[in-house]
Amino acid sequence: MSDRRLRAAILVLSALGAGIAAYLTVARLAHVRVACATSGCETVAESHWSALGGIPVAALGLGGYLLLAATALSRSDLARALGAAAGVGGLAFALFLLWVQAAEIGAFCQWCLASDVVLVMLAPAAVLRAWRAAPPRGAPSRPARRRPAPARARRAGPAPPRR
Amino acid sequence: MNRRLLVGSLAAAVLLAGGLAAALTLSGGGSKTAATTVVDSGPISRLLDGLPQHGAVLGEPSAPVTLVEFADPQCPYCAAWAEQALPTIVRKYVRTGKVRLVFNGMAFVGPDSETALRTALAAGRQNRLWNVIDLLFANQGTENTGWVTESLLRSIGATVSGLDVERMLDERSSDAVDRALGQAGAFARSAGVNMTPSFAVGKTGGTLQVVRISSLDPTGLTPSLDAALGS
Repeated sequence: MSDRRLRAAILVLSALGAGIAAYLTVARLAHVRVACATSGCETVAESHWSALGGIPVAALGLGGYLLLAATALSRSDLARALGAAAGVGGLAFALFLLWVQAAEIGAFCQWCLASDVVLVMLAPAAVLRAWRAAPPRGAPSRPARRRPAPARARRAGPAPPRR
Repeated sequence: MNRRLLVGSLAAAVLLAGGLAAALTLSGGGSKTAATTVVDSGPISRLLDGLPQHGAVLGEPSAPVTLVEFADPQCPYCAAWAEQALPTIVRKYVRTGKVRLVFNGMAFVGPDSETALRTALAAGRQNRLWNVIDLLFANQGTENTGWVTESLLRSIGATVSGLDVERMLDERSSDAVDRALGQAGAFARSAGVNMTPSFAVGKTGGTLQVVRISSLDPTGLTPSLDAALGS
């Protein structure tokens, strides 16, 4: 997959994840019931696992997705590495939250599971993008382009007098 | 950035996620999902023990007089009435088959009101509304602080004999509870009730009169109940 397609995939998946996270954040801040086929979303949203220091966990997710989207807009090495780190860190935190839902809360939020699915696709894409651009240790960070040697300028005017 | 540095930054990201997970656990996520201690479950279960419940109705369905209580689960005066007057009303009028008591929930104080009320209405589908609403009053927290937690509701449900807690929690967002919530609100509006606790008294099947109580002890209602029974 080309870098262009990877960037497009990261952008689309980040937008999808940001949409889910934004919905959950707004619902929590506005005290609105989340649309859910079971009572799981409500159970998870009302649990004390759903906020960290007063900040909804969904808002942290929203920040992560926006960061990932921003890195996809840049071609720099730093953006690629930041995107990969955000993807992997986000996936690790999502796995922890999945364990919390299963073991601590005893209920699953369908929106959270949808976000997990997005992250499972997003993180590898972000890592692949950074990995391709990162050369093995010792190699130059970018292959040096060979440029044709500039032609020597010929001095105009009469040749210097020979001695 | 070479690949070794990239792997290092990915490992740092995983560590950061671990730090967030630890912070979430230490900030109370872990401890607060443990069972919450429910106060006063013994007296309430003894008060209601053996009394028939049908949805929001406590007492014999054929009782000659109906008393409707309009209450918000977050209203502190409603909690005070439940503590100071309800036991006497139940023992003197409901247990003797004279009065059927109907709970008409309202949820105007805030989000915790609706969460609590939906839970009570869902318990009503298992004929345990009165147990749950009285335990909510006994464990009432400060308005709109998020005190109606999942943990509290589970703990309250666990103390109620014969209540399927998971079913109650699942049915909070059911169509039946939606309808019951809507009907309770419509009835309160039609009765002109705009404060809690308010009461309506009358012959069962007849027109009910809204009663303004002057005190939160049983004497606030007994004259109206006696009058309805005597007439």
